[in-house]
Amino acid sequence: MSRRLLRYLDWPVLVATLILVVGGAVVLYSAVQNSGDASTLVRARILHAVMGLVVLALMAFIDYQTIARAWRPILGTTLFLLVVVLIIGRSSMGAQRWIALGPLGGFQPSELAKLALIITLAKHLDGHKELTSWRDILPVLIQAAVPIALVIRQPDLGTSMVLAAIAAVMLFAGGAPLGALGAMGAGAAVVAPMAWRILHEYQRRRLLVFIDPGADPLGAGYALIQSKIAVGSGQVFGKGLLHGTQNLLHFIPEQHTDFVFTVIGEELGFVGAALMIGLFVLWLWRGMAIAAQAKDRLGMLMAVGAVGMIAFHLFINVGMTVGLTPITGIPLPFISHGGSALVAMMGATGLLLNVGMRRKKILF
Amino acid sequence: MENQQPSRRLFILSLIIGMLIGILVVRLWQVQVLQGASYLRQSEDNRIRDYTLAAPRGIIYDRKGRPLVSNRPAFTVAVLPLELRNPAIVIPRLAPILAMAPDEITTRIVSNRPRLFEPVRIKRDVGPNVVAMIEENRLDLPGVIILPEPVRYYLHGKMAAHVLGYLGEVDPDELAARQVEGYKPGDLIGKAGAERAYETVLRGIDGRLRMEVDALGRPLRVLSRLPAIPGRAIVLTLDLDVQKAAYDALVASGMQAGAAMAMDPRSGDILAMASIPSYDPNLFAIGISPKAWQAITTDRRKPLLNRAIAATYEPGSVFKLVTATAALEHGIVTRQTMFDAPGYFQLGQWTFGDLRAWGRIDFITGIANSVNVVFYTLGYRLGGEELAKYALMMGLGELTGVDLPGEINGTIPSPSTKEQLVGEPWYPGDSVNMSIGQGAITVTPIQVVRMLGGIATGGQLMQPRILLMTYDRNRSQHRADPFLQRIVPFQASTLAVLREGMRAVVERGSGLGARIPGLPMAGKTGSAENPRGKPHAWFAGYAPVGEPRIVVVAFVEHGFRGGISAAPVARAVLHAVFPQPADVEVPR
Repeated sequence: MSRRLLRYLDWPVLVATLILVVGGAVVLYSAVQNSGDASTLVRARILHAVMGLVVLALMAFIDYQTIARAWRPILGTTLFLLVVVLIIGRSSMGAQRWIALGPLGGFQPSELAKLALIITLAKHLDGHKELTSWRDILPVLIQAAVPIALVIRQPDLGTSMVLAAIAAVMLFAGGAPLGALGAMGAGAAVVAPMAWRILHEYQRRRLLVFIDPGADPLGAGYALIQSKIAVGSGQVFGKGLLHGTQNLLHFIPEQHTDFVFTVIGEELGFVGAALMIGLFVLWLWRGMAIAAQAKDRLGMLMAVGAVGMIAFHLFINVGMTVGLTPITGIPLPFISHGGSALVAMMGATGLLLNVGMRRKKILF
Repeated sequence: MENQQPSRRLFILSLIIGMLIGILVVRLWQVQVLQGASYLRQSEDNRIRDYTLAAPRGIIYDRKGRPLVSNRPAFTVAVLPLELRNPAIVIPRLAPILAMAPDEITTRIVSNRPRLFEPVRIKRDVGPNVVAMIEENRLDLPGVIILPEPVRYYLHGKMAAHVLGYLGEVDPDELAARQVEGYKPGDLIGKAGAERAYETVLRGIDGRLRMEVDALGRPLRVLSRLPAIPGRAIVLTLDLDVQKAAYDALVASGMQAGAAMAMDPRSGDILAMASIPSYDPNLFAIGISPKAWQAITTDRRKPLLNRAIAATYEPGSVFKLVTATAALEHGIVTRQTMFDAPGYFQLGQWTFGDLRAWGRIDFITGIANSVNVVFYTLGYRLGGEELAKYALMMGLGELTGVDLPGEINGTIPSPSTKEQLVGEPWYPGDSVNMSIGQGAITVTPIQVVRMLGGIATGGQLMQPRILLMTYDRNRSQHRADPFLQRIVPFQASTLAVLREGMRAVVERGSGLGARIPGLPMAGKTGSAENPRGKPHAWFAGYAPVGEPRIVVVAFVEHGFRGGISAAPVARAVLHAVFPQPADVEVPR
């Protein structure tokens, strides 16, 4: 059994993931090398990577059908934790996102929510083969909307966008009528102004600055300008690992979390950035292949959910460092500092491998 | 159908994802490869901060090597506009620390807008408490920096303010004119006196410290250092003791305004040049506050005015030396000529007054007691044209060329110029009036000094000077050469009579108040009637007679009588030059 599984293990996805995690750790070290608690951060990263590998293995080897059957406890736990974090959560930049876990640091339920949404939504959509009537779609939407609403409440605009994107991609792949998807998009546009009110002042400024970066060059636009300078100044080959001046001199806020890509862009240049994107493309391409070859609709939906999540993260995160997308705090998968995100991303990878290993026997 | 649709949708999804990633790569190509060089430059600008190392100005010494102006170490609080992220919060925090109004700070920053990378100086010479408070609150004051900058120190405050001058921030016009010399907004430049005259010598060349800074603007390491080159020192002709005596005597006179000068007639060296009311140039050294500046410039007593060179006054009886010279040269009077001085001079229907009736006196007594009638008579006979000619010849009414800024030339009226300028004919009464230094005639004290120098030396008009020598960067001396402007062609007999008369002024006449026992000196008093109040008091003299080494002129606005208020000032100055007059050997 397990040998047969290993035969179908999608090595490119696993290898791409491991390279991204290990390479990412090196970049992360560069980002924090002179921050004073570099060794603490590196040790945390190693611990998280090990935890991520364990979760990856679990998510890969427990049959995804089994995982899907447990959707009720998964969804219940996630929603419970999302409510808990609103009540007792620790604040960071004005938003309540963390549950303190003593020596393990903090836990971010919204990261778990991404994985949980993929599993539960896949299970749910699998139950409705035909998504033609609103009666089929509405329960699915409600199931996605509840965690999204809870995350917005924190408020965490980026993660709620990720959740919405996962839901949209999975609905699309699940065969929802285009008209319904369009209506949902319109609905979101209507709800958006309400979300605007929940946002903190700094989050609003970030969005406004995306429209006009020159508006406040020393305030909210500062991060965008400095991150473009960092990425751009890397030119073709970069300033060399550990030698980015923008990085070393801390010109970029959040350089080890949301803006970690600026370190890659500055120190490794266009070549390094392209190499990283190439690894993600490999991961995403294999992910789509696994989705296409999945044994069943459930597996296909899970794989698409994982691919959608990683692709959305990649585009929004890298895009914001070069002024392509608004600055919203979402991490670069496998690389940004943050244990919960790393474990969730590796969990999603495990899920993808899981689907791949159990694909039908037709190969290419 | 059921199988086909998902795979078609997966294909579409793949296309969308592929497209988004394609956009990312194109954008990265654009930012990193196409615009990379520009961003690299910006990243360098980001991390490199140039700090100016202020070059200390040259020290100013007196002729005996005693410092008059030096520099003392101090700290300047400045703001880096680019790093002042939150002016609305930082400025109100900074203002109370500096005891300034927030608006004042904002104004200074805004006026420097185009130069984002240059520090804008907010307050110079802050005390150690302020430095400590800013250092302690550094994190709450992003963009506020402290620069070590020497501050000009005038050791003697008001005493020599007008000669030494003061510094001020270079104003926009000067800046436009002198930008090539490396002046930047906020730089200090000599505004008056020697500070201005010798600006190019005194000014050093600022150095530059190129530092790498982090995002908070904290300096991390030195990338390069260009040391500052200090300004060159200069030695003035001033003698601190004489200067002090002149200033103190003026102040002690109890009068509001006046000037006193001492000059070596052989070289033109100005040993003292004092003017009251004075001001403290130290106030300007740290960038004078608008309020203090307002107070000084609107003060009706005009403390900034150097009354020795930049104000003109009626010479009064001092001008009788010109009348006497002209008359002697023309031979219309000799030593023995006798005059009837009944106390008035009648010209047609006009009567010209005198202090009192003197009876029948000789010419020497006429000079000694400044008898108006004697000079009325001579002036009437000479006529205005001759008086003006001799006045100009002896150096009145023209710039002396002293190496200080702001000298003005005064007026010597004459029949021809009066008709030209006023459009009225010259009346004989004008000549009579002019003979005793009244009427439209005005001169500066320094012109009188130079004229006395001419009489003392037998005709040499030396250009008065304030600079004795400069030091170059290797501390070697460069002496400034005295400059003989011209020789007034006095006849020896004229000089002899003039000198005898002037000695008599001090020995037994109107200038007794200047007399120092044992010091043979010559002089002339003056009381200049003027439309603004009591007469101005003059005393002009030199010593020792026979071997003149010093000319002294004292002038007191509205001092009433030269012999009463000006002569004691001159005496004090002379006393400083000759502390033990008995030692002065003079061939009779």
